[in-house]
Amino acid sequence: MANYVYSSSPHIKSPRTTRRIMIDVCIALLPACIAGCILMGTANAAYPTLGLLAFTHLAICCITSVAAEWIYLLCCKKPFKQIIAEFDFTSLVTGMLIGMNLYPTSKWYVGIFASIFAVIVVKMLFGGTGKNIVNPAIAGRIFAFIAFGAAFGGAMGYATPAGEIKQFSSPISHGSVTAGATPLQVLLGGATEATSTLTNLDLFLGTGVAGCIGETCKLALIAGGIYLVVRGVLNFRWPLVYILSTGLVSVLIAWIDGCYNANGKFVSALLGTKFVDAWEVFLPSILSGGLMLGAIFMATDYVTTPNTKLGNYIYFAFLGILTAVLRKAIKGEAVSFAILLGNILVPLFDMYIRRKPFGYVKPERKRVKKAAQEATAAKEGE
Amino acid sequence: MPDNKDLTATVAIEQMPIVTDYYVPLSQHIGKPAQPVVNVGDRVIEGQLIAEASAFVSANIHSPVCGEVAEIVKRKNAQGVAVDCIHIKSNGEQDKFTLPPLTDPTPEQIVERVREAGIVGMGGAGFPTAVKLQPQDPVDTLIINAAECEPYLNCDNRLMIERTEQFLAGVRLIAKAINVSNIYIGIEDNKPEAYAALLAQDGVIPDTKEALQSRKEGDIVVVLLKKKYPQGAEKTIIKACVGREVPIGGLPAAVGCIVDNVGTAYAVWDAVVNGTTLHKRLMTVSGRGIRNPKNIEVAIGTPLSQIVELCGGLTDDAVKLVSGGPMMGYSLINLDVATTKTDSGLLALTDKEASTVLPTPCINCGRCASVCPMRLMPMYIDFYTTVGDTENAVKYGALNCFECGTCAYVCPAKRPIVQSVRLTKIKAKEKK
Repeated sequence: MANYVYSSSPHIKSPRTTRRIMIDVCIALLPACIAGCILMGTANAAYPTLGLLAFTHLAICCITSVAAEWIYLLCCKKPFKQIIAEFDFTSLVTGMLIGMNLYPTSKWYVGIFASIFAVIVVKMLFGGTGKNIVNPAIAGRIFAFIAFGAAFGGAMGYATPAGEIKQFSSPISHGSVTAGATPLQVLLGGATEATSTLTNLDLFLGTGVAGCIGETCKLALIAGGIYLVVRGVLNFRWPLVYILSTGLVSVLIAWIDGCYNANGKFVSALLGTKFVDAWEVFLPSILSGGLMLGAIFMATDYVTTPNTKLGNYIYFAFLGILTAVLRKAIKGEAVSFAILLGNILVPLFDMYIRRKPFGYVKPERKRVKKAAQEATAAKEGE
Repeated sequence: MPDNKDLTATVAIEQMPIVTDYYVPLSQHIGKPAQPVVNVGDRVIEGQLIAEASAFVSANIHSPVCGEVAEIVKRKNAQGVAVDCIHIKSNGEQDKFTLPPLTDPTPEQIVERVREAGIVGMGGAGFPTAVKLQPQDPVDTLIINAAECEPYLNCDNRLMIERTEQFLAGVRLIAKAINVSNIYIGIEDNKPEAYAALLAQDGVIPDTKEALQSRKEGDIVVVLLKKKYPQGAEKTIIKACVGREVPIGGLPAAVGCIVDNVGTAYAVWDAVVNGTTLHKRLMTVSGRGIRNPKNIEVAIGTPLSQIVELCGGLTDDAVKLVSGGPMMGYSLINLDVATTKTDSGLLALTDKEASTVLPTPCINCGRCASVCPMRLMPMYIDFYTTVGDTENAVKYGALNCFECGTCAYVCPAKRPIVQSVRLTKIKAKEKK
């Protein structure tokens, strides 16, 4: 007699597995990776090797991330065959994202250290897939940003404790094509020039934009996002809430800013000296920097988002507000810090925002109950 | 979720021929096992009472065949629990015991007949119907659960197509027994043939605005429900048909509803009009591991191995046997199990159909919570059960779960969530 499989119900299950989801994310990241390499390679005729550098960064990060996970598991005495059989591609996603978060001009070792930090410290030491508290890729990027500084690079530069914006010198920001500041820099007052040479379309397509490998071409990122939505991996609401709230809060900040004159004196609530067209603020703020990459691929990591619908609406709106405010305050590196801060707060969201189960009857408040009891008692007394 | 109904949706109901041995379990329902009223060596005829209800919540059991009581033995049921069974050896005679048919019965007579005939909820739970028809709370609505949301199963569907009038008469008898005129039939939209068959009858109207305006007293409203598992769960179908939400821990009667299954309604008709006791039921034998999937009317107590044989046997690639539907049924170790009143299906699944993927860590995607019909957060129940924290698992609603399995179906990590819930339920019971 044959041995039949014996298990608890249900006996049929959806074909979707964690591995399948992660492969989908990898596929969705590909267009932005390819676009990043091409754009970097063609951005500046003086530096044709930038594209190749971008590709090398991506490859190094992917290989390091996966290797780090496997070596960690081997150290845990897991047989190699089993590691391969259970490989769920999460570390590949982490590797791709870290690569996309590097600048082509970053030093070659930055990606290696960031990947190892992300996979080993942030993910594996906390218990592996699904147990990490913050998104490994975000943590990896921030690790690189803080630990390597100039070697990490960056077009926006960073804020010194004194509040001064320091610009890293990189070939791309000296090149002829991207000599101008980005509209966002102009907006935030961090640029040397008063106006930007880049249009919103440039920002959208990533043409001539200096930045990380993966964040330049918004079109490719959105295409990847749509793929994930179609595949049922991503809920389109969450990136949308994040991006819209960033844009709206940026407009609000610019409006408040416009109400004050150069000397910091309140002028008028409606007709400030620098009152700007809302649209002129909205578009650059949603199209600039790492917002799209962060909103579509990094903030929406299942592990580090709340579990309830309401919680997610609040969480992503909160991320948007944080991003806009941080941009204004620290003039750069806002998205990753906003997501990191948000990630840390997720357990609180899950602790305080609970679902109301089916058939839930709100328990009568003690005070109301008491009043009702007294009323009936009084009636009986009559 | 693919419903796989096409395997048997158009297959007409077939009668199961008499076999030599029947094992009738004494516990086929919720409540106390029935008490045998026959002795070893007694001759019995088809439909004769062989075990009677031993408590208020219990049910009579009748002989499926003419023959001789060979022994009373303990045999494993589909759930793997050893229960007492009356072994009847058939002798090939054709005789049938029936109760006197009732014409124009009173509500009390109907309830009494339902009790006598041993009718239990035939959707799966097996709650004695006579008890259900005497609710403690006032009820104003009868809902017939014709959703048959479990994939593969078609026995309710075929019954509505082939025995439409009898089924509707049964529905009206139940309504009469509980004295309500507000009757709904909830049917999923993947059964267009049955839906059309129902609407072709007098006094049956669709759930549209125009039709409802000209609704007469006693008209049966057929509500076409979206195909969405678990649409046919008691609480979900009440919500879908009349928009009422049964409070946590409450029975449907708490919101004035009684829910009965299609098979139960038919059995009530048969018992009242023909005096037939419940000793047969419809069963869908399906799955790609069965050579000829069929819908058959089978005597209770028939060994499942005989049923499979009638359906051409198992294919070589069948890896899993399931009694009931694929979402809530029980997997079987072998076919050495007897049919009960609640067996709506027998499935043999191939490797492609049955999921045999091992669980991986939860990635917190939230799919389980988004599909939970009880609006629970299954990921926490699974987590706390895994770490042995029963208290917190209960806090997240493990006891409100009716184990539909939708969470475990969608889980990309293939977490055994339903198993966790069951474990927590057992542990919570032990604590009390």
